[in-house]
Amino acid sequence: MRFLEIEKNYGENCVFDKFSLEIPPKTILSVVGPSGEGKTTLLQMASGLLQPDDGSIIRESGEEGPVSYLFQEPRLLPSSTVFANIELALRSTYSDKEERKALALHYLRLVDLDDSLGLYPHQLSGGMRQRVAIARAFAHQCNLMLLDEPFQSLDIKLKYSLLNAFVTLWEKNPKTTLFVTHDPKEAILLGDAVCCLGDPKKPLLYQKINIPRKARNIDDASLLALEAKLVQSLVQS
Amino acid sequence: MRSVKRNLILLLSSAFLLIIWQVAAQLLDSQILLPGLVPVFSTLLKLMSDPVFTPNVLFTVLRALESFLIIVVTATILGVLSGRYQLLSVALRPFVTVVKAVPVMSVILLAFIWFTSSTVPLFSAFLMGFPVMYLQIEMGVKQLDSNLLEMCNLYGFSKKTKITYFLVPSMVPYFVTGARTTLSMVWKVVIAAEVLTVPRYGVGSRMQLSQVQLETDKVLSWTLIAIFLTALGDLVLEAVIWISSSVKQQLDKRSVSCVS
Repeated sequence: MRFLEIEKNYGENCVFDKFSLEIPPKTILSVVGPSGEGKTTLLQMASGLLQPDDGSIIRESGEEGPVSYLFQEPRLLPSSTVFANIELALRSTYSDKEERKALALHYLRLVDLDDSLGLYPHQLSGGMRQRVAIARAFAHQCNLMLLDEPFQSLDIKLKYSLLNAFVTLWEKNPKTTLFVTHDPKEAILLGDAVCCLGDPKKPLLYQKINIPRKARNIDDASLLALEAKLVQSLVQS
Repeated sequence: MRSVKRNLILLLSSAFLLIIWQVAAQLLDSQILLPGLVPVFSTLLKLMSDPVFTPNVLFTVLRALESFLIIVVTATILGVLSGRYQLLSVALRPFVTVVKAVPVMSVILLAFIWFTSSTVPLFSAFLMGFPVMYLQIEMGVKQLDSNLLEMCNLYGFSKKTKITYFLVPSMVPYFVTGARTTLSMVWKVVIAAEVLTVPRYGVGSRMQLSQVQLETDKVLSWTLIAIFLTALGDLVLEAVIWISSSVKQQLDKRSVSCVS
């Protein structure tokens, strides 16, 4: 996916000015940046919810079609069961009911929620609700995945457990992914590359991470150095 | 245990009201001003065995139900449209504001000039109950969760799926609150309109005739019947809500048990 010389203004406030960015197919690009620097705008433009004032957004072949979106909050239908929340997201692509059931169950098994199928969102913990949202995002047939700080406001243990659940599902079925976050650590653990916003014309920092995702350790010296660089860019922006 | 305690409190407070009534009746010592419990309840039993009791109650019930259904249908349709289209909401605002502000008695008296005595209760109940239901539904539509709607759109939900799984469940609390308030209001307005217009059959007509003949025990007996009808209406509505929610849960359980 490519953002080519996009421009976006909110009144006098210029968020993007001939800004370009590329996400190689089937990789995760982590985007960090301070509030108001265009992270959510970037996601909304990628999803088609928002159009740039100028420039173009190109989805490569294999990236067209529906997108999956993981929001900051789980956004589950409160009066539908865990199972129905997944199954409903499959209706647009799978007409066969049995196939939908099997797929929903498969993804709920992958996030260890196959024993909570009949529960309603209010009967789940915050972490369980976000796991349902992750299962829904992967169950929904798409080639582009957009993540809007989905691990924010979770405790550290839960955050890493959900990151692991996400990585496991993603490795099984990689999709081009744009991951927006405030947290440099999350960005480094998940992304194939990290990018820092802060200048409307170009990323303040763009760096590929060559260590395999499963082998990444937050104590690794090179990752710690990258985190320091990201923090420095965020502070200076 | 909590429900036993709740029922006990309800029973005690009802008994307390009856005691106040009986004490007041004994203090006043006048069958015209305030008859005691025994004469009123014996009159009530006599009324219930009277052949005209059933048509009187039935006509009041039918008028209340008819007005309630008309209000629910029209207010739901217009409330949804107003919540969705700002222009319609603005266009209906003066009508709703005027109707909300007009005293019930003015509506009944004016309706009596315009319509026949059997239509007045329907018209008056509609005018009084409509704004309550309409405003609830309009508020429900305006307060739909835009985040959930965005999720439905991004995950490609069809219109039917959105209505069934997002719109209707989101509207249920507003619908139930509106329906509850409207129903209790409808009973009061229908009976008040019957009192003023005296149609051939109706609880309100009987109250009016008893009042003219200074039969306070009968007025109080018909009042007890009106209270009973209102309570019964509330109970039936609660039962419908409870049954609907149980059926939905059973269907959810069944669809999940087919999978696991």
